[in-house]
Order: sequence, then structure tokens, then C-alpha cells
Amino acid sequence: MPQPRASEPSTPTTRLAELLGASRIEEMSDSETQAGGTDDGAAEAEVVAPPEPVINELFTTPPKIRVQVETKTSKEQAKTVDECLERLTDRSGRARNSHGLQRLRKAKHNEFLHDALGDYPGKFVLMDASRPWLLYWSLSGIALLGSTDITDFEDRLADTVTPCQNRDGGFGGGHGQISHLAASYAIVLALVIVGGDEGFNLIDRRAMWHWLGAMKQSDGGFTLCHGGEEDVRGAYCALVMLSILDLPLELPPEAPARQSGMTSLLDGLLEWISKCQTYEGGLAGAPGCEAHGAYTFCGLAALCILGEPHATINKSLDVPSLVAWLSSRQHAPEGGFAGRTNKLVDGCYSHWVGGCWALVEAAVHGPVSAPTAAPPPRLWSREGLATYILQCCQNAQGGLKDKPSKNPDAYHTNYNICGLSAAQHRYAYCPSQEPDMEGNLKAGFSWVMMAEGEREEEGRVFDDEDRVGAINPVYVVPVGRAERARRFFESKRGF
Amino acid sequence: MPLYETDPAWADVTPIELDDGGPSPLVAIAYSDDYAEAMSYLRAVMAADEMSERALALTEDLIQMNPAHYTVWLYRARILTAISADLSAELTWLNSIALRHLKNYQIWHHRQTLVDRLGSADGEQAFLRSMLDQDAKNYHVWSYRQWLVRRFALWADDSGELASIEELLNEDVLNNSAWNHRWFLVFGREGQEEGYKVLDETVERELAFAKAAVRKEPQNQSPWNYIRGLLRQTKRPLAEMKDFASEFAALDRPDEVRSSHALDLLADIFADEESNAGQAKVALAMLATKFDPIRASYWQYRKSLLPSKEAPAA
Ligand SMILES: [Zn+2]
Repeated sequence: MPQPRASEPSTPTTRLAELLGASRIEEMSDSETQAGGTDDGAAEAEVVAPPEPVINELFTTPPKIRVQVETKTSKEQAKTVDECLERLTDRSGRARNSHGLQRLRKAKHNEFLHDALGDYPGKFVLMDASRPWLLYWSLSGIALLGSTDITDFEDRLADTVTPCQNRDGGFGGGHGQISHLAASYAIVLALVIVGGDEGFNLIDRRAMWHWLGAMKQSDGGFTLCHGGEEDVRGAYCALVMLSILDLPLELPPEAPARQSGMTSLLDGLLEWISKCQTYEGGLAGAPGCEAHGAYTFCGLAALCILGEPHATINKSLDVPSLVAWLSSRQHAPEGGFAGRTNKLVDGCYSHWVGGCWALVEAAVHGPVSAPTAAPPPRLWSREGLATYILQCCQNAQGGLKDKPSKNPDAYHTNYNICGLSAAQHRYAYCPSQEPDMEGNLKAGFSWVMMAEGEREEEGRVFDDEDRVGAINPVYVVPVGRAERARRFFESKRGF
Repeated sequence: MPLYETDPAWADVTPIELDDGGPSPLVAIAYSDDYAEAMSYLRAVMAADEMSERALALTEDLIQMNPAHYTVWLYRARILTAISADLSAELTWLNSIALRHLKNYQIWHHRQTLVDRLGSADGEQAFLRSMLDQDAKNYHVWSYRQWLVRRFALWADDSGELASIEELLNEDVLNNSAWNHRWFLVFGREGQEEGYKVLDETVERELAFAKAAVRKEPQNQSPWNYIRGLLRQTKRPLAEMKDFASEFAALDRPDEVRSSHALDLLADIFADEESNAGQAKVALAMLATKFDPIRASYWQYRKSLLPSKEAPAA
């Protein structure tokens, strides 16, 4: 039998009365989540030095209860805690913000993402089918960092994606590569981010509608390509394109799913997504698989396109277990999110899990009537996430990464930036903010940014210089871009 | 050095040169001559929807250079069917490259296509075992395994699946992918098999299994999630777990708390009890302030859901 544990030798016996002093839990965020200033050495100094900011000890000390059993998983977890603690307790002279954390190296990251859009030597051939993703990740990150005029890329982007479009309507990973929902999603979003009529007009919407019809499955979901797999990414990518491109929801006449009695591209979709929720509470890629952060985001965002979040999420998912599962993904002392139970923190889940919160909070708290309403408390620690991103995921030479021991790439750079954005902005679903749109699937365009109000300082560990742009939390593009694209396509009569 | 251009077997094909997109494409890769040439022939044969031995050989050439090329894999799968190729030989070839590219999704999808058409799961469990030895949580491998169980109805206790899971959990009780597969085997069978109901004794066996795992490591969230899921699925009250959870966390002995997950469960159990909102608050406060403070906002939210008749002291 393992020994009783968790009584920290350094902690004097904690009396229950102290621990549970009235409304202690309410005071938590005030007393413990602030980077309190210490004045070590101030006593002897004649001149009072400004208090030196320190990182909240929650992120610099091991957890109170540790897993004791030694397995591959627990060893890797211990190793990750060690490498993160090294960064989290690093007080060396690197440029730090007023909260004691490393500044966001915006210029370096911007440069890194510009490089990611540039030329690659031949050994990068393994990325040949992922070029659309590199376009999306890089342009998204650059736009959120905000120091480049993103419209500079208009012509080159349109030229680059034109050969990826197939006659059947979808986009592939490159010239001669078959149509794929992920490639199509990445290219459409890249065009949405950069904007410009030339890019919008190159999309053959009628053909895209036919092709999406061919991807529709008789069980309600979507396959990613002909002969390919069916998973919740397919559902999300299809819904993103249906709604942004303002396509008809009617199933095209030749679509195979019509043989199963379906008439709409949305038939059975909500039910299919709900089957992806596992006994743990999160969503899996497909029914029966393991709950996973990235699939959970795709499922939730898909539900937020299908309808109002408080309606669709509450109707199709078990929300208490969903919230519990999401919450469990945040680790201490690391501060960041892991993607599955008993897995390691990873910077990309800063978005995949961090991005779920706006959607889930909208389901839990319901819609707001105006963007000025005071937001309720968050359900997660934005302090932890921002601390992890700034302290553990930044590469000195630019780019962001999974964890300190890893190398940066465009994928982790973008999704860390999106995660930082989630820690810096509040969103709510605001149906009265009628997006002056006429067609179907408008719910994803009714999100508003909320002023933090009195919560402005709660868990804030970044300065204004560390801020990145706000996004539409459903489409994950800079705020306003998805709406603009939708209006453009809606203004086109017919196809 | 051109390979296809000088090959008489390819003389009738006019390659389709790469259109990389305008004068200065973004994310441009300086393809090797070999890859560029092979791709230009691939575009040509695919445009003609050619189903032939030479096209099959071309896909193998390209896969060697770029195994992450979904187009080539899917085209290859179609050719194999069209020319009635020997699928067992294909599977043997696939095995030889699978280990090198464990994270490659396409290889698993291709395997699924082949094994589906071969109609036999022979050897698959042993193969999966060797893959999981390399990476016990690989999502593709587990997704494939769930497909395999469904396709070949490997639900029964003697199918080898459950034994394999117990072995994996013996090695690493924290492997949540194995826990998920266990759930799939036991509870995923309902709704897959006409008229199948999970037996009461099976539910008890699972509960005992998860409890034993908790005793091995109380801070392991996997079996706690399994227990909660099991109770929800079988519509049994959380309260059944009160004594068990109390073994690992007692409100009056905060120094001896061995599992935050036990405390979490106790908070829910107290919340369900008529007059125990106060104790639920105690448990939630212990989590928020000491045992799991990174999730303080969440514990606070849980507290806000408690019945409000016991107003907290201001
Ligand atoms: Zn990652």
C-alpha cells in the first residue's frame, strides 16, 4: 500500500478551520493568484527599490499531491514538470514584463512566421500535402501579432492556392492532390484572413457545394476526402465552409447520402457530434475513440455554427462532465493544457483546450444582451495559461513550441498565439448583435468582445505590449474577418 | 536524373508539370528532381484515372519519398482493388514501413482498407501490440483498433482484447488510451450488437477493476473517470462511492488527503445529499485552496451550483 502523502513537510498542520475560513474560496483569486510583490532586501536599503515581481508560487512549486507509482507516464510527467519549473523559476535577465514573466517576443515570432511562408529546401517534401495548413497557421499568427499589413499577401496567396483547387470543388494539399476537407478549410480561412475580392472570387462555390454533398455520410458526419476517414474535424471544416461561403444547406441531388433518405447537409449532424462525447466528458475524433482536446474544440465549434451555443451544446452534450474534463486538462505547476487525461502539457492545446472555454462558457452562462454586460468569472486559469505560454513556449530565436525541450514550428506558434488571445480577451454570444445577414447558419457571427471591467486585473500576468489580437472564437480568425467574408458571399446572388 | 522520362514503359505518358502558383508562391518547396518528376507522372496518370501495375509502382516510389502524401495512398488503394492485387503481399509491405512512420495517419487508414477487404483480423492483435510497445498512446493505432473490434466483432472476453488491455494497464496504469479502449470493449458493445446488454456482473467486475487501480495509485484520474462514467451509464447514484472515496480523502483529516479526484467526487456526492451542501463546500474549498488550486475558478463555479439555502457567511 502506498503511504499517505500530500502533507507537505514545509506546511504546518493545516487546521480545517483555517483552510475553510468563511468565504475563503471567494478570496482565492485575490490572495493567491496575484503575482504579489516581495520586498526582499528593502529593509536594509535606504532607497526603497520598486518591488520585484515574482511568479505566483502555484507555478513554481510542485503540486501538493503527486502521482507516486512509477510508470512511463509518470516518469514523462515528472520530466515535463522539471523542465517547466526550470523555466518558471528562471529569474535571469531576459526581457521580462511587469509581472516577472518573459515578454512576448512579437518581432521575433513575426519574423519566424514570415520565414514559415517562405522557401523550403527539398528535405521538407514531407510537408508537401500540408502547405495549406502552413498558409493558414502562418497568416493567422501574423495577423494576430498585428505588426504586418496582412493584405500584402493578397496576390501571392491567391496565386498559391489557385492550383490547389480541383474541378470537383474542393481544395487539395497542392497541385494534383485530391480534394480534402482540412486543406479546403485551411485555404478558405487563409483567404478569409487576408481578404480581398480576388481571393474570394477564386473559390468555386457551386462546385464546393456539390463536393461537400459527396463528403456527407449516411450516419450524419462528413468524411475528409473520397475514400478517407470520417471524424469530427470533417464536421467542423464542412460547417465552416457552408456558413462562411453562404452555401445552400440542401443536399445536392447527386449526393450519395440521399439514398439514405437525407435531404439536408445538416441531417443527423448534431446527433453524430453528440456521439463523439466519451464517458470522460470530452469529445473524441469519432464515436468510441478517446476524448481529446483538438477534437473537443472541433465538436464544440461545430455546434456553435449549427446554432446558438446555449441551445446546441446543452442539448447535445452532457455539460457537467464536459466542463469537468476541460478543467482537468490544465496542469500545475506547468500552467498550460494537456490534450488528454494523463498526457503532458503542450503549447498547441493553449488553443485547442483554451479556445473551448469561450464556447463552453457561453453555453453555461447563456447569451448576453449587450457587449457591455459585466462578464461572469472565467471557469479556468488564464494566469496559468499565459504564464505557460510566455515562460515555457517561447523560442529565443522566434517561434513558439510545444514545451521547453521542443523546437518551434508554425503550428505551435499559431496555436500558442491563439491561446494567449483566449487569455487576453473575453467573448460572449450576443444574439441581439444581429449580424445583418439573411441566410442560414448565422450563429457563429453573433459573438462580441466583452470589456473585462472589474475583472481586468484578475489573473492578468501580461502587459499591453504582450497583447495579441482578438479572434472570432468559432472560426478562429481575427475578429471581423469571418463576418466580412460572409457578407461578401451573401451579397452574391445565387452562385 | 530522369527516371520515368527515359523509361520506355512510360513513353506514352505526357507528364503534367507542377503549377506551384504564380511567380512567387508561398511555402514553396524546392523539390528534388526525382520527386518533381515522379509527381508530374502521378498527375498525368491520375488525370487519366489509370489503374495499372506501373501506376502502382509509381505510388510506391512516391511513398518512399513522401509517406505523408494522402493522395498517393488513396490512389494506391483504388488501384489495388481495380487490378485485384495480392492484398496479403501489400500488408506485408506495409508492415515493413509502419514502424518507421508510426505517427503517419495514412498508413493506418491504408491498413484499415486492406484488412477490411481481406476480411480477416489474423495477426492484427500481435501487430498492434508491437506498435503500442513503441507508442502506447498513439491515437491512430487506438482508432484503428476500435475499428478492428467493430469490424470483426472482437467483443467477447476471450477475444484477446481485454487480456491485452489488462497487460497494458499492468505495465502503465496511467495509460488513459488503454482505459478508453477498455470502456469501448465493455460498454461500447451496447448499440453495436443487436440486443446486447451489459450484464450486472460485468458492471461489478469493472467497478472492482477500477477500484483496484485507484488503490494502486489514488491520484490517477483515469480510473476515477471510469468509475464516474460507469455510474452515469448504468444510472447508479454517485453516493455508492462515498465510502470508497473517503478512503482517499476525509474532510476532517486534510493532511491525509491522497487524491484530489476523491475529494472532487465527494463534493458531488455531498451536493446530491439533502443537507450536505456545507460539506460539499468544504471539499470544494479544500480543492481550490490547497489540493488543486490551478482549477480554483472551476471549484468556485461548482460551489455556485450548490443549493443556496445555506447562504455562505459574508
Ligand atoms: Zn502540440
